[in-house]
Amino acid sequence: MGFQKSLLALGVTVGLATFGGAAFAHDHTGPMPTTPGGKAAHTRQENFKQQGAAFKTIRDELKKDAPNLALISANAAKLKSSSDALPTWFPKGSGPESKYETDAKPEIWSDPVKFAAAVKRLQVEATKFQPIAASGDLGAIKAQVQAVGGACKNCHDSFRVPEEK
Amino acid sequence: MGGEPSEKTPVRAKLWDGPTRIVHWALVVLIGFAWWCVKANQTEWHLWAGYGILGLIVFRLIWGFAGSASARFASFVKGPAATLAYAKTLSKRSATDMAGHNPLGGWSVVAILAAILSQVVTGLFSVDVDGLESGPLSDRVSFETGRLFAKWHDMSFTAIKALVVLHLAAIAFYALYKRANLIAPMITGYKAFETDPKLSFAPLWRAVLVAVAAAAVTWWVMKGLRP
Repeated sequence: MGFQKSLLALGVTVGLATFGGAAFAHDHTGPMPTTPGGKAAHTRQENFKQQGAAFKTIRDELKKDAPNLALISANAAKLKSSSDALPTWFPKGSGPESKYETDAKPEIWSDPVKFAAAVKRLQVEATKFQPIAASGDLGAIKAQVQAVGGACKNCHDSFRVPEEK
Repeated sequence: MGGEPSEKTPVRAKLWDGPTRIVHWALVVLIGFAWWCVKANQTEWHLWAGYGILGLIVFRLIWGFAGSASARFASFVKGPAATLAYAKTLSKRSATDMAGHNPLGGWSVVAILAAILSQVVTGLFSVDVDGLESGPLSDRVSFETGRLFAKWHDMSFTAIKALVVLHLAAIAFYALYKRANLIAPMITGYKAFETDPKLSFAPLWRAVLVAVAAAAVTWWVMKGLRP
């Protein structure tokens, strides 16, 4: 009897933990945008997801005992090209006024000089990263990953709505 | 303690063992610290706090089966009938002489442990938006899934905050309405009973053994489940 109750407790604990997560599993199912601003915001988010995925692929490789250098190099190239294209992802009208759910702050458009500088910093770091990735020097690659991530963070800190804290 | 006149003199007896109390207060400190780390942008420290919480929660789950009587799930997780029966007595102004969690308190423990467990598990898979820090198991999921885990991590913390508020409200209710001090026993381990419940307590060596097991599990998870 005691053991059964223990099992019940454990079952409920795990169950609550699992369902707690599963309940929120379908939360990104808003309607597709129809306005040009909304479409641009949506495209921007898709682009950032790809950029994030490329960066994550590199970082995941670096955790391994034998990182795949070709994969790191290929994704460093992706980071470089997406960083170069990044300024075109923010057309006027794709901010909060698009009514599409976005974390892009209005300051992107109201302070274009500061925004351009933040983007430039990413482009510089992503450009530096390419030859370093190709060199295969893991220590240098890890250091430059921090520099690229720092550029991401630098821009997010000023121009992205902070996450709930 | 409570000062209620009763026919017998109250007996001061041990209720909560050391490991249970240490886990309780360490969770309070580490969860608070982990929260502060997020606010202060100290992600690296946040991860360390999370590993500490993981170790504590693993310890507590094992202790719920192998620990002292008052810490065991079997002693305080009751079915719906017993829980309802206890709930009906809530408005009585005297606390029961029950040694340990009452049925409602037992479910509160289960809910809090579940919320902390879901907090830790979602954190393990979370990917941060800058790609600088992420959970030790985030390489098992895609970027988007990792971002989703980060969102659940945030929602799970809302659940923890709600449960903590409920927990504190219940303690205040017992203190003010039922004149029962629940805080002192969780600090000292001792409580005044009308009759000595003569609880049994697990030996120290068992706590050490469980702590080593919990630390090993935590280490393994930190290393991304690699041997």
